[in-house]
Amino acid sequence: MDWNLLALSFTAVFISELGDKSQLAAIALGGSSSSPRAVFLGTAAALLLASLLGVIIGEGSAQILPERLVKAVAAIGFALLAVRLLWPEKNAD
Amino acid sequence: MIEPGSIDALTDLLLIFIVSISSPASQPTTEAKPAAALSRAAFWRIFSSTFITIFLAELGDKTQVTTLLMSAQSQAPLVVFLGAGTALVTTSLIGVLLGQWLARRVSPATLDTAAGAMLLGITVWLLWDIAHL
Repeated sequence: MDWNLLALSFTAVFISELGDKSQLAAIALGGSSSSPRAVFLGTAAALLLASLLGVIIGEGSAQILPERLVKAVAAIGFALLAVRLLWPEKNAD
Repeated sequence: MIEPGSIDALTDLLLIFIVSISSPASQPTTEAKPAAALSRAAFWRIFSSTFITIFLAELGDKTQVTTLLMSAQSQAPLVVFLGAGTALVTTSLIGVLLGQWLARRVSPATLDTAAGAMLLGITVWLLWDIAHL
């Protein structure tokens, strides 16, 4: 095991993720959701899968995925989550 | 180049996503909720909407770029993934705990407004990314 490389990759990713979109989303959803555990597991699983794809696909990922479309769908998702928090349905079960 | 297969998969993902997100499962904190009696269905709805949104937002983002570059340069991609994975789990844990900490200090109504504003901010951030790709 290359501990230097392990520490280096941990530090690089940790610093670049601090205060990034997904951590802000984790703060917002973790505080307001009825199940913070589901939010944590969902966030961690999504980030792990995204970086696993990064390692496996490598440079090819940019060619396989239409990045603008993916980000646009993500933007719609966050907007929906925001709207649901700001204007909750009065008769939600 | 965009392959037809990836678009199909994306459309499926989008459908699952819209279904999971449009159902009113994650009740806002302003409503009374029995914390212990959260149904399994609600858990999976919150899990899947969180998972899909963050997964899509993160694809091709800078973490992935960092991981990609390091795994390309090193001969040990597994070690890079272990380091990156541990960091990502840690930052999401910190995020959720910070949210919980804040939730104990502000009123549920204020919290929902703040959380909604944050999510709108992330939406704008993503749109900004798209415009500057």
